[in-house]
This record gives sequence, structure tokens and C-alpha cells, in this order.
Amino acid sequence: MTGSDSTSGSVGRTVARKEDWRLVTGRGNYVSDLELPRMRHVAFLRSPYGHARIQNVDASAADAAPWVDAVFTGLTPAIAAVELRALSALPSYIETAQPILARDKARFAGEPVAAVVAADRYRAEDALELIDVDYDPLPATVTAWEKPEVPVHDGAPDNVLLERAFEAGDVDEAFATSAVVVERELITNRHAGNPMECRAGVALWAKGENKLTLWSGTQVPHLVRNMLAELLGLPESNVRVIAPDVGGGFGTKAVLYPEDVALCIMARELRGVPLKWVEDRAEHLQAAAHARDHRYLMKVGFSAQGKITAVQADVTCNIGAYSVYPWTAGIEPLMAGGLLTGPYMVDNYRCVTRGVTTNTAYAGPYRGVARPATVFAMETMLNLGAAELGLSDLDIRRLNLIPEDAIPYRMPSRLVDDSGWYGRALEGCVEAIDYDGFLVEQKRRAEHGEEPIGIGFACYNELTGLGRAAAAGPRMPFRTGHDACTVKVEADGSVTVMSGVTSQGQGLETTMAQVVADAVGVTYDAVNVRIGDTNEALWGFGAFSSRQAVIGGGAAHTSGVALREQILELAAAVYEVSASELRLVDGRFLMPGVEQPLGTLADVARIAYMESNRLPEGFEPGLQVTRFYDPVRGAFSAGAQAAVIEIDTVSGELTILKWVCVEDAGRVINPQIVDGQIAGSIAQGIGGAMYEHLVYDESGNLSTGTLLDYLMPTSAEIPELSIGHLSKPADNPLGVRGVGEGGTLGPNAVLAGALHNALGVELTRLPITPARLWEALR
Amino acid sequence: MKAASFDYVRPESVAGAVRCLVDAEGDGKIIAGGQSLAPVLAMRLARPRILVDVNRIPGLGALRRDGDSLRIGAMVRHHDLLEQRHSPLLAEAARWIGHAAIRSRGTTGGSIAHADPSAELPVVAAALDATIHAVGPDGGRSIPAVDLFEGALETSLDENEMIVEIEMPIPTAWGFAELSRRHGDFGLVTVVAAEVEGSWRVCIGGLAAVPFRARECEWVLDCGPAGEDRIRQAARAAAAAIETSSDLHATADYRRAMAEEFTRRAIEQAVAATRAGAH
Ligand SMILES: Cc1cc2nc3c(=O)[nH]c(=O)nc-3n(C[C@H](O)[C@H](O)[C@H](O)COP(=O)(O)OP(=O)(O)OC[C@H]3O[C@@H](n4cnc5c(N)ncnc54)[C@H](O)[C@@H]3O)c2cc1C
Repeated sequence: MTGSDSTSGSVGRTVARKEDWRLVTGRGNYVSDLELPRMRHVAFLRSPYGHARIQNVDASAADAAPWVDAVFTGLTPAIAAVELRALSALPSYIETAQPILARDKARFAGEPVAAVVAADRYRAEDALELIDVDYDPLPATVTAWEKPEVPVHDGAPDNVLLERAFEAGDVDEAFATSAVVVERELITNRHAGNPMECRAGVALWAKGENKLTLWSGTQVPHLVRNMLAELLGLPESNVRVIAPDVGGGFGTKAVLYPEDVALCIMARELRGVPLKWVEDRAEHLQAAAHARDHRYLMKVGFSAQGKITAVQADVTCNIGAYSVYPWTAGIEPLMAGGLLTGPYMVDNYRCVTRGVTTNTAYAGPYRGVARPATVFAMETMLNLGAAELGLSDLDIRRLNLIPEDAIPYRMPSRLVDDSGWYGRALEGCVEAIDYDGFLVEQKRRAEHGEEPIGIGFACYNELTGLGRAAAAGPRMPFRTGHDACTVKVEADGSVTVMSGVTSQGQGLETTMAQVVADAVGVTYDAVNVRIGDTNEALWGFGAFSSRQAVIGGGAAHTSGVALREQILELAAAVYEVSASELRLVDGRFLMPGVEQPLGTLADVARIAYMESNRLPEGFEPGLQVTRFYDPVRGAFSAGAQAAVIEIDTVSGELTILKWVCVEDAGRVINPQIVDGQIAGSIAQGIGGAMYEHLVYDESGNLSTGTLLDYLMPTSAEIPELSIGHLSKPADNPLGVRGVGEGGTLGPNAVLAGALHNALGVELTRLPITPARLWEALR
Repeated sequence: MKAASFDYVRPESVAGAVRCLVDAEGDGKIIAGGQSLAPVLAMRLARPRILVDVNRIPGLGALRRDGDSLRIGAMVRHHDLLEQRHSPLLAEAARWIGHAAIRSRGTTGGSIAHADPSAELPVVAAALDATIHAVGPDGGRSIPAVDLFEGALETSLDENEMIVEIEMPIPTAWGFAELSRRHGDFGLVTVVAAEVEGSWRVCIGGLAAVPFRARECEWVLDCGPAGEDRIRQAARAAAAAIETSSDLHATADYRRAMAEEFTRRAIEQAVAATRAGAH
């Protein structure tokens, strides 16, 4: 760690979160709460068909209704002039266009076809009923591994938008000499992000100027500003994006959606009138980004001792109707191919991974991106290999995990792993779950004919905080390795942070304040953090890829340290002492051997801003620093989870008796926030493994269109979690590793593994439901 | 997901409510707890012209014991059922309905009138041969539960009729077993087994369009002492007689198998309670 001689010590403590007073007392300020003078409300008409040619849209009745302000369709020139094209430099990538409102054809059920502006949402929805769309239904494709009758996009006759191969070592030779080769087809289920607050936006185009303000529940305000400016032909400084309090995101809100763009275009047509759209839950399930509808054709070879000899995989990811903007159809397939082998030593690797378009909602970033699926695939294969070789699930992992002395380890996909604490994470779980006690109890139950229990494990490496050289992504025309942070001392000596990070509930105001307090040398309470407004922070890519602690935190730390130097230089000149000896601790200037502080930061700040007559020779007014930070490489977080489950073999119900997780967050900035991230992501993973499942029928209608059928886990479904920490400092200024997503990676594999362990049943298709388990047991 | 526009009235008496329904000429709808109706309105699956709010009608929230029966006012909330001590079976059934927020608004009359095939209270009502007291423009009538439920979300209530009270015997022994996907969900299978006046009643919810009274099962149980074999035989008889189909959450085979298993569990619970009571 660089230059941390300040001792106030905010980092590493569970401090009261800055945002909690307003959030837990119901005084948060969400986009959904925003009320502006003359505001109007927007509702979207959505395609009821999975695939249909649009012959005609007759909006005349809606247009004529006296309570309607405006109606827009795909043919409205202002709408038709813009389309979204996610770009990638990958050679096989077929670029496709996503309209703002569907024009010639609708490609998934829920795609916006028209939009209405009215005085309130009720009236806007009334008007939707007056719009007459003439659809000519086409055969729909909902399964990515089936041939399309009619392709989704003309440019991709087989629906494949992108395909990439990974090849390392000699796979065929390795299989030929393997003692055991296991082959399986594994299918994972489709999820929606389902944040508590669905998508929301308010767009206002200034009346007398070409200026756009968008309040949006986005995770990526600067990126949104950049994209909107380009799409709408505005200078970037004329676009302001504000993300106030945001009620969850999980990746779903890291996308620029056609609805967002439509809102801004409509606002331009209705200058001076703020337009509000708040997505409802039915829209969210239909039309916000989905994820994880994948198939893995796996083949894994093992030596007689149980060492993995080769991994071969054919991966198909259902990317839905469009190449998600701006992340592209590559987001899931490339992550899947890049991270499939996980924390295991694999020399011989062959993987073909593809993104296939279908008549379903498009796939986008969702907490864990592909890895909950790849971990499930890899761990399942390990369990099967172990069973064939007569090894325990535990021992086969111990044999194959990347050992500490192999670090840095180059994965067969060429990503470089800097962690290596996988064994420690696994052994931590073994201890926390009392593995020996479990074995005794499992045997006892078997002998007494009691309900069987089983144990399941998952080991994973989460690639976090990706710098410019670590991209596992689809070669988009931008790199997300850096963020900026501005830290300044105000005239009263308080410290203001204007950071490019964003928060959807993760407490970034708090963690940034902790980092800056220590870096500058002030108390946590003296620091105020402003985030989520592109007019304040210089630059930040926002929340995704578990990047903010590493990158945003790195920028905050670097800026804070530089500011402290600036402060000390000025203070040393003011107090006529040596800058190298002067220290700033809790906002007070200390000299070695002098008991009383020389003064406070407030004293010096006053001089810097208010009393230029007292400024020493050569000093400019003000105290402020802006720095960028880019870790260049990423930081891998080691993680392992294990659970013991009990099975009711008659009903197929399973009960989770114990769940443990050990993760490496590197240096922990705030223990409570880190635990919260891990607990929340495990809960989301359990939901994904056992309950959440988006189902389309053959014609492309979503069968799980409300929360009555799309089952979110509640607190009653989530067991007590025991969370343990490792802290291997990462190679970045704070030594931190990302923890936002790791928890989601384990549960699929843990639960499937525990069932296999208990009963020898294989559930190769997710989710794991009582009905499916019951059938597997017949 | 916003309701189509409607008018709203809040009568102060049952007669007033019925008058409002008559005035609406078939286009009126009672709203009680709103826990089933509000989502239906929001999705515009129902678009009544007038909503008749019965929450302010005095007297409908009373619950009292009348000999071996319980008289439950239509506006008695699920939460009140859970708290009362007269009928432990009803308290147990209410515990399985949704979550606290839903139980504190949802009403007994609303649940019976809504007639969701997976809801708990209709199964209890059908099992116990409850009597539903309704009032219409021509006065009151009493409807046996089995005649009330006609199909999924369909009852024999006239559009101008309102449920005012539900009368249920208090069973001497009972068992309640439910299989649901999550805590608080509607049941995939809900079984009530009860002994009333010395004879068995077994009713299964969640499989057929209406709560299914398993008469063969009851007959098997009534034929002799409820030993393990007889219970198994009874549960098998129940499952064999029931019509069901597959849906998103379970196949027909699974549901039928679970109907058998949960019928067995409910009967065993009831029998265990009787045995415990006998000691
Ligand atoms: C998230 C959620 C989970 C739920 N889970 C369950 C569950 O697990 N099990 C379960 O059983 N229920 C469940 N429910 C439904 C809940 O129990 C409802 O309260 C109940 O089904 C209807 O009662 P209500 O008073 O809310 O009726 P309302 O919603 O007000 O009305 C429902 C219908 O009944 C009619 N009606 C109401 N009162 C009368 C009356 N006195 N006479 C004639 N007609 C009348 C209305 O016109 C309407 O058609 C759930 C609801 C929600 C929102």
C-alpha cells in the first residue's frame, strides 16, 4: 500500500452508513419519487407476439383523445432516426440494429411498439388501448439450440450473432490418455434482475436550449451521457444524467434501453415538459434484460488419480432478440468461455462459445454474468468424475485447485489469476461446516433409514475490477478500466468527494468516505460524498463487474493522498515547518515532539479560500485534486461455498440445514457492507437455483409474467449464512478485491452437488424444484 | 398495470351494498380486502364500472362461537382467523395464507367469493361442509360450500349477492397438510382431514378447479379404525379419484403423487391428535 501514514483508521471498520438515515426512514430520493412542474407520464405499448411483422400501427384514435399529449410509434421520424447498434471488434460478430420502437417487426413479446404521453399513467394506459397494431405473426424461436424457421435478424440466417473458440494444449491427446472421460449436457435457467425499484426515468429537454437532463435509475450515468450525446447529436456537456437513490440494479440497470432513449426523444419533441416513465413489474419481467439461458455440452477427462486432463465445452447462450446495448451479444458467451475452467489447473482446453439470438427478451449483464452457469457446469463435472473414480467431492477439488505457488497462473483462456487462495477458501468451508461431523451424521441417518442429507461444494474465481489489460469482454469500442475522483477541501475544512461510482444500495457513499477519510487524514464524519451526477464527477463507468471498490476506490484513494500532500505543503508554509514532518490526523496538523496540534484543516482551508492575503508565496487559492485510477489488470477473488441439505424423498422438497461461504475480499473496507454483498448475492444465487425461472411458450409468450409465477426467494427461503473472510491484499492501492457478485456463483453448483452427494441423482437442468427432483428419483 | 377507471361507493349497510350492486346493473364489484381484486384490476382483467367497498359496513367483522359451530363474518381478516382459539384448524389454515400484510387485509368472505382453487379457506370450507350466508335483492339464503364452488374463480353467487357470514362446524379432530413452492405461496396441494360428528371429511385443494371432496377416501376411513394401512388405502383412493393437469410448477403426475402423500399426512395428523386427545 502506498503512502498511508494517516491513522484515523476509517477503513476496515463498520461505520454508520452515510445513506442509511434517509434510506431506512423512507426519505430516500428515488427517480420514482421525483415530481416536477408540468410533468407528464409515459406508457409503452408492447408487442403481444414473440415474433410478428408489423403491417400497420394506427394511432389516430389515441392521438385524437383529448387527454393524450402525444403518441409516438416506430414510424415517428424522430424515433425512426435513431437505432442502437452494439459494437464489437470480434471477427465473427454480426452487428444488428435495435430500433427505439419496433418498426417493421417485433422480435420479442414485450418489445415496445408505441408510446403515449398523458397527464398520468392511468390515462396513458387508457390511451394504449386505443392504438391498433396490425400484426402478422411469424414462427418464433425461443430455444437457442434449435434451428430457426424464420431468423430473428436478416443478417444472421442461423441466428448466431457471434462465436468464439478457445484452444489450449492438446485436448484430443489428453482425452485419449485419460482414465475417465465424462460427458454431459447441462442447461441453466433464465433470470431477470428484479431489483426492488424497476427501471425509471424522467427526461427534461430545456425549453430554450439544446440541453437534456435525464434522471435515471441507471448504474452507469457517465456512460449513458456519452451514449445519449452521440445518439441524439448533442455536445456531451449539454447532457446531464442524474442517478439519485437507486433501488437495486444487479446489472439490469447497466444497459441503455430503447425505453430510455425513447423518453429523451419524446422530451425533445415536448420541450420544457418533463416526461416520466416508471417501469412496472410486468414490464420488467417481459422487457428488461434477462440472463443465463445457456446450454453446456461438457466433456472432461481425469487421470486415474483424479487430475483434470482436459476440458472441452460447447457453450450456447441465448442472447435474446437483440445484442444488448452497449455490451453486445458477447457479454455472456465470452465470460462463459473465458472463466469456465474456474479456479482449477487446466492445461488442455477447447471451448466454442456462441451467442444466439431468439425471440425472447435480450440478455444483458446480471450479477455474476454467466459464471453461476459455468461454475455449475464445471463443478457438476468434477462431482461426476469423482464418483467414477471413487473419490470424494472434496478430494477431487483439493487435487485440482490452483495452488498458491502457481500464482500468477495463466488460465487456458489466457486470463491471469493473481489469487491462488482457493485451497484456503475451501478448507475454511470444510471447517466451518464441520465436514467430519457431517460424515458421521450422514452415515447415522443412512443406517437408521432417516431422511438423507448431502453436502455440496463450489469453488470459484471471480474476476473483479478489470483494468484496461484484463478485459474478458467482447472488444467494444471503449475500455472500462478507469474511473476518476475529485476530492476537495471546502472553505470550512470539510472534505467533499465527487466520485464516478454509483450506488444501487451497496453503500458507496460510505465506502468512498472511509477511503478518502484515511487518505486525506480527516474523520469519517468530515467527509461528504456526492455521486451519481455527471455534472459533478469528472468521469466514472459506474457499477458492474465488481469494479467499484477496486477502481472507484482506487481513484478516491489516489486523489485523497494527492490532496493530503497539497494540504500539507500549504500548511507547512503557513506554519513555517517542514512539510515532510508535518502530519494531518483527524483534521489536525501534528508535528513530532509537539503536543498541541499546530492548527486544524479548517484554519488552513479558510486561508486557501477566504484569506488570500495570508496565502504564502507561490500558493494558489483552493485545495482540490482530481485523479484517474486504472488497475491495468484485474483482481481475482477466491471463493468457496458449501451447504448441507436434507431431502424429503417423498415430496422432493429440500431443506438447507447449513450454508457456509469463505471469500477473499482482499482488504475489507467495511465488514458489514462486504458481508451484506456476500449474503445478498448468495440469496440471489439460491433464488436462481431453486425458484426463479423465466419460461417462454413455443410462440414466444412469457408464461411467467408476474411474481405469482416468477418466484423470488423471500427471507423464509434463505438459511442462516456463515460467512468467513480471507484477506490476501490485491495489487492495487487499497489492496481490495471485488465482492459484489461472487456469492451468486456458488448456489447452483452447491445445491446440485449436495443432491448428488445425498442420493446420487443428477439434476442437469436448472432450476432444482421439488417436482424435478421427484421425477429424477422415480 | 393501472386499473381502468371506475366509480367508487362505500355503503354503510348490507342492504345498501346490495342496492349499489343492483344499480350497477351487472357492472359492479365488491371490494373487501382487495388482495385478490386489486391485482386483477391493475392488469385490467376485470373492469367494473363501480367498486362497492364493504369495509365500513358494521357487524361483518364479528367472529363468534355458536355451540359446535363458528360464525365468521365476511370481513373477518385472515389475521383474525389465525389469532382466534375456537377452531385450531382455521388458525392453522390461515397461517398458510400469504404474508402478514396480506393476512391483515384479506378477508374470509373475499377468499371464499374469489374461489381460487389453490386457496386455503375454500378447502377448509368444503371439508367442513360450511354454510355460506349471502344476501341479495330478494333477501338472504344459505348455500352449502360444495354448491358454492362451481369452477376456478367461479361461484354460484348471483352478481348482486354478497356473502355476509360463513358458518363452519368445529371439528373434533383435524389435520392440515400443504405443499407450496415458497413460504406463503398458494398451495400446490392443500389437504384438510377432519372428523366432524364422528365421520371423516377429506378435502383436497390445488389440483382440481374446485376443492375436491375425496368421498371414497372418507368412506374408507369411516369403515374402521384408522391404522396405517387404512390411512394409506384412503390416501390412495383420494389421489386416484382426482382429475388434474400439468402447469408451470408441477406435472399432473407429481401433483397426484403429492395429493396422495399430503392426504396421508393430513389424516395421520388428525389421527395422532385424536389419540393424544384420548389419553
Ligand atoms: C402476494 C399475495 C399472496 C397471497 N397468497 C395467498 C395464499 O397463499 N393463499 C390464499 O388463500 N390467498 C392468498 N392471497 C389472496 C388473499 O388471501 C386474498 O385476501 C383473498 O383471496 C381475497 O380476499 P380479499 O378480502 O382480499 O378480497 P378482494 O380482493 O377484495 O375480493 C376478491 C373477490 O371476492 C369478491 N368479494 C369480496 N368480498 C365479498 C363478499 N363479502 N361477498 C361477495 N363477494 C365478495 C370481490 O368482488 C372479488 O371478486 C394472496 C394475495 C397476495 C396479494
